[in-house]
Amino acid sequence: MDAVDARNVSFRYGQADDAPALESVSLGVAPGECVVLCGASGCGKTTFTRVVNGLAPSFFRGTLSGDVLTCGLDAARVPIDRLTPLVGSVFQNPKTQYFNANTTDELAFPCENMGMDAAEINRRVADAAGRFGVTDLLDRGIFRLSGGQKQRVAMAAAVVLGPRLVVLDEPTGNLDAQAIDAMRDLVVRMKADGVSVLVAEHRLAWLNGVADRYAVFDAGRIVREYPADEFLALSPDHVAAMGLRTLDPEPCRRAVARLAAVPAEGDGPDGRTALLRTRDLVVGHGRGRRRAFSRTVPDLSLARGEIVGLMGRNGTGKTTLVRTLTGLAGPLSGRIELDGRTARPRDLMRAGFMVMQDVNYQLFSDSVREELMIGSDADDADACARCDRVLADLDLPRLADRHPMSLSGGQKQRVAIGSALMCGKDLIVLDEPTSGLDRFHMEQVGRLLRRLAQRGRAVLVVTHDEELAAGWCDRVIDLEAARG
Amino acid sequence: MRTAATAPTSRRDGRSLDPRAKLYLLLLANLMLFFHVGLATQATMIALFLAPMLVAGRVRMAARFAVLYAAMTALGLLDPDALGVPQLHVVSALAVGASMMLPCFATGAYAFTTTSASAFVCAMRRMRVPEAVVVPCVVIIRFFPTILEDYRRIREAMALRGIATGAFAWVRHPARSLEYVVVPLLMNATNVAQDLSVAALTKGLGRDGVHTSRTTIRMRAADWLAMAACTLPLALDAAGVI
Repeated sequence: MDAVDARNVSFRYGQADDAPALESVSLGVAPGECVVLCGASGCGKTTFTRVVNGLAPSFFRGTLSGDVLTCGLDAARVPIDRLTPLVGSVFQNPKTQYFNANTTDELAFPCENMGMDAAEINRRVADAAGRFGVTDLLDRGIFRLSGGQKQRVAMAAAVVLGPRLVVLDEPTGNLDAQAIDAMRDLVVRMKADGVSVLVAEHRLAWLNGVADRYAVFDAGRIVREYPADEFLALSPDHVAAMGLRTLDPEPCRRAVARLAAVPAEGDGPDGRTALLRTRDLVVGHGRGRRRAFSRTVPDLSLARGEIVGLMGRNGTGKTTLVRTLTGLAGPLSGRIELDGRTARPRDLMRAGFMVMQDVNYQLFSDSVREELMIGSDADDADACARCDRVLADLDLPRLADRHPMSLSGGQKQRVAIGSALMCGKDLIVLDEPTSGLDRFHMEQVGRLLRRLAQRGRAVLVVTHDEELAAGWCDRVIDLEAARG
Repeated sequence: MRTAATAPTSRRDGRSLDPRAKLYLLLLANLMLFFHVGLATQATMIALFLAPMLVAGRVRMAARFAVLYAAMTALGLLDPDALGVPQLHVVSALAVGASMMLPCFATGAYAFTTTSASAFVCAMRRMRVPEAVVVPCVVIIRFFPTILEDYRRIREAMALRGIATGAFAWVRHPARSLEYVVVPLLMNATNVAQDLSVAALTKGLGRDGVHTSRTTIRMRAADWLAMAACTLPLALDAAGVI
């Protein structure tokens, strides 16, 4: 029996007049097979995973037509808990798919809900942890784990009941290259156990050699299915034309390595002076005996008009460094200079801005225009003119009266950047601006970075996204290599 | 109570009371408000409530509550008329109110910071609380740390925008400060709630039938002792003996 057998499935969220999220999709997944759903954002691949694991239409309301058999059960009609022992699910955001504060409790959670006794639960937890290499992560506080570790535990939790199908919805959205490699090993492991794997994903390269079949979605339909060898043989241009991320990460990796070797432009003869410069900087958090983390940063400089990528795997202190550079945290020792003068955290906070990975934290007003005008006087003609210029510069005039929360992720990012430009910030730091974005939106972010640099801002991007770094950064600072 | 099955996770819980005993202490703290206990009883009860905190290793927390209580009681004992500052009546009244509320906060803080979510859920199920109550409680417990984290992020975002975040700003523009914090907080809470519900549904949290627990909880002599010790002063006070 197939793990998934979907025939002519159509689905519409909410009101019937909305465009359908899926339109007559038919797809089967055989036992032990790994099928990848790809396509641009909003193409319907996530919706398809929800239909398969029973979340749509039971949780995500809408109207469904056609037949979906998941492990032989009618996914649209049986209660979702009938599917629990058969289907494991892993989602994009490692922060919000945990129910327990402790990793072992999290692995035990599905078993407890199935009413197993304590001995059986412990046996299963130990077994799943052993097979998926997370034994060393057991009995740890969830909040102390890195994103990659959380996602590995989530994978183990998805198989603890011994499901026949595992559904992954953009599982690598927030992960670094090493963590993604670990995910790949786990998928291989699942397949070896005869578990079918259905993955909706933007980043495709990590699935090379693991995936058996690719289904390309566009506007709710499967436009074409490819066997793995045929798909991997497609030319890079063809892949790009379908709006997909690269299948071959090597050229990007080489480009990033090249960019990491580019020396910083100092106060050289070209006359470009550094906006910001660090000297013997040590960043970290915690003081004295409670020192939790500290890290010496090699001297670096950022110039106006330059896009610098800050890379290196999770836990190398990228976030702590940019928090220090924007004045949110004080340096443990060493100093930071702004335009050649030693700057206090307060000065850095005035000069710099950080676009957070979760941009929802940074929007406070009920319209885009008001958002930009926070801190300025609404009657000040000069400020209003500046606001109009910033809006025009970021393609936001059409959205000026919209509520920021009604905007898409990319639009919110632009509003946050607009607010930074209004405050006259010189240094714009972006934390993982392209996590979970498809090629089109990634390139849009890249163009935005370029525009900021052309307007004379120093742009620092914290990213794991090699395609973004290769395509748009002027140079790359690799914190991991620097540690060496 | 450390059995082989529970040894690892209950190491921390091992030195704290059973969740049911904790809830009982919380109930007693609320009853204290109801019975309007005398000062001696109140002080005794506070001491009794802080003792389990010390045993659980929450020395700082216990010290803070003790100092706060002492300060509030001292302020409440002031006689503004004797001092010739009648305006102080407001202060001493507030202080008395605060010292009456304090036992609730102390027992609540103890219950929440020393109980793992799974132990709490297990306790509720043992007490035959219906699932319709248990599930929302699980979600709320899961939410607290997230909201705290969100709050920190929002404060940072405000600082970067040059929006004042200090105590002074709260006094000067309370409504605006609240709006700046609450709007993003709620927006994120909505997203988190949806993600958590989805994760929980696929893991069978809403399933009909028996749910078990890997964490085992058991009432020990210490639990009964703590409950009895804390009940005694309140009962004596309510009966008019003290």
